[in-house]
Amino acid sequence: MGNFGQLMDGFAVALTAHHLMIMVMGVLLGLVVGVLPGLGAPNGVSLLLPLTFTMDPISAIILLTSMYWGALFGGSTTSILFNIPGEPSSVATTFDGYPLAKQGQAARALTLAFTSAGIGALTGVLVITLLSGWVANFALRFGAAEYFAVYFMAFASFIGMSGGSPFKTLVSMMLGFAAATVGIDTISGEARLTFEFDELIGGISFLIAVIGLFGLGELLLTMEEGLKFEGVKAKLDIRVIARTVAEVPRYWATLIRSALIGCWMGITPGGPTAASFMSYALGRRFSRRGRFFGKGEPEGIVAPETADHSAGSCALLPMLALGIPGSATAAVMMGGLMIWGLSPGPMLFTSQPDFVWGLIASMYMGNIIAVVLVLATVPLFAFILRAPFTVVGPLITVVCVIGAYTVANHMFDVWLALGFGIVGYVFKKLDYPLAPFVLAMVLGDKAEDSFRQAMLTSDGSPAIFFSNGLVATMMGLGLLLLCLPVISALLKGGRGQKDGAAGAPEGRSA
Amino acid sequence: MDISRSTMDIAAACVTAAVGAVVCYGATLNGFAWGPSGPEPGYFPFYVGCLIILGSAGTIVQTLLRRNAAGHVAGHAEADSFLDGERLRTIVAFFLPIVAMVAVSAWLGLYIGMGLYIFYALRVAAGFRTLPSLLAALAVVAVNFVIFEKLFMVPLLKGPILEAFGIY
Repeated sequence: MGNFGQLMDGFAVALTAHHLMIMVMGVLLGLVVGVLPGLGAPNGVSLLLPLTFTMDPISAIILLTSMYWGALFGGSTTSILFNIPGEPSSVATTFDGYPLAKQGQAARALTLAFTSAGIGALTGVLVITLLSGWVANFALRFGAAEYFAVYFMAFASFIGMSGGSPFKTLVSMMLGFAAATVGIDTISGEARLTFEFDELIGGISFLIAVIGLFGLGELLLTMEEGLKFEGVKAKLDIRVIARTVAEVPRYWATLIRSALIGCWMGITPGGPTAASFMSYALGRRFSRRGRFFGKGEPEGIVAPETADHSAGSCALLPMLALGIPGSATAAVMMGGLMIWGLSPGPMLFTSQPDFVWGLIASMYMGNIIAVVLVLATVPLFAFILRAPFTVVGPLITVVCVIGAYTVANHMFDVWLALGFGIVGYVFKKLDYPLAPFVLAMVLGDKAEDSFRQAMLTSDGSPAIFFSNGLVATMMGLGLLLLCLPVISALLKGGRGQKDGAAGAPEGRSA
Repeated sequence: MDISRSTMDIAAACVTAAVGAVVCYGATLNGFAWGPSGPEPGYFPFYVGCLIILGSAGTIVQTLLRRNAAGHVAGHAEADSFLDGERLRTIVAFFLPIVAMVAVSAWLGLYIGMGLYIFYALRVAAGFRTLPSLLAALAVVAVNFVIFEKLFMVPLLKGPILEAFGIY
């Protein structure tokens, strides 16, 4: 096992006092971001990214990933105590977490959530450890056509498996592509889609889009709903925690099933949100206690939490090994890697093994630190959340505005972010998925480059995408995924309209 | 004033279709044909624009079909509201001050912009008394100043007033 030795080297990199401190700081920041509605993981990472430009890449990526873990954990706290998901991916946790907390078992609900989340995350990291080297080796053989096929598959799977309207996914994704092409074309050097505006020559940063879409958009939504936090009091008794942790292995079947769903949805770009909903739905169907779901059933907390976190960590595998992020947050982090001068993808494993394995090792540590910290800080965050949103909202707004400015020190970016905020608000209300937009914005240039390179080598014949078994299989799979909505619509039409209602709750996952 | 969801769906799709058209037009400025040295720069954006228009058209058709289907079930359609007058007012009351803050910040610098905004939000929107609001606004400015100028060394926009006081 070459991977194991490299992992040990990675631990040597990650386990320095400096990096441990960074992890603690990142997790704490992540918890804040996860707990506060309006600040989510993708947005939080975008806000922090400009501040890491001066750090060395390994410290920077550890800070950002730790923040990501913290945000994933923090989102569950609010779901359980306040029935308000701090993150879209923890919506499914509210279904059983809040009822259980209301029955006076808040400590049990929280411990269940964090423990299963920790198990899910560690499973995800284990999958990364075992598979990433292999995937990267495999991907070293890729040429431009294969890369385009992988991108194509990633985007097709968004359209095929989104669950919502495929047209809206398409529009959202293509708008992302269009936004990515604004500015100087990397191949010809011509200015594209700038319409003579000097401000647009430099292009539109995906960070601005994320801050607007996820940050300001989410704030507008929260403001409109006029949230009042009416929480359940949480007293954490060490004995309750110990008893609950001992209880977790009893749900081994749910744990394994959910972790598998999570890993699959994380590697294919389904993302944590879709994973947690799917895991909850499957749990309700297959668990023996399925009929108690929704009334404070422990398995109803374990299922979405495990899947959420295993998907969240697995989303980093395709980012590292292929250069294709599996979630919106991973997309932002990948943009960060490119800004730090590292090119994500298979070459990273050979050119920067310290970086890759240090990062993977830090994932083990980061998640363990996150479980401990999140349990320790529950009372603190429960207290923060009692502050009225009319106070918290403006503070978050200021953070977003400053964040948009620090991306490139341009006031124009701040105006753009405001525009994206309105778009994000309308799109969210109309169930347009936003993750494909961000993904397309980060990957747009790379997908276009590989497409154009492939076309150049083949003299413009699309036959190159079917020229060998590997690329043909990937393109075929992509096409199949694209047709999935049509196929399922036909099947549904055949079975009558009874199933139409069953899919409805899934729509909220967007 | 009540905006139904299907109206908003169609309106949004029209806007995205218009954006798609703009993208297509912009692409033609670069040339979207197959040149002698491979695809011209506008090639990719042109088809992206086309797909945006296609997707928007699909959404419009889907919405119209659904609205017709819902029309048969009386009373079902009106439950689906996108925004009513009261919520719209809440949103505007939240958003306009943000626009004002950005406008002031562009002119007088971010620190003055955020200070005024926090003061307004606490004093007017949240209904605190003047002195606590003022102190909170100053605290926010001070904390941000220390974090960005001192800790991370990322200078924010200062504007003419702070510069007159010798703060760069």
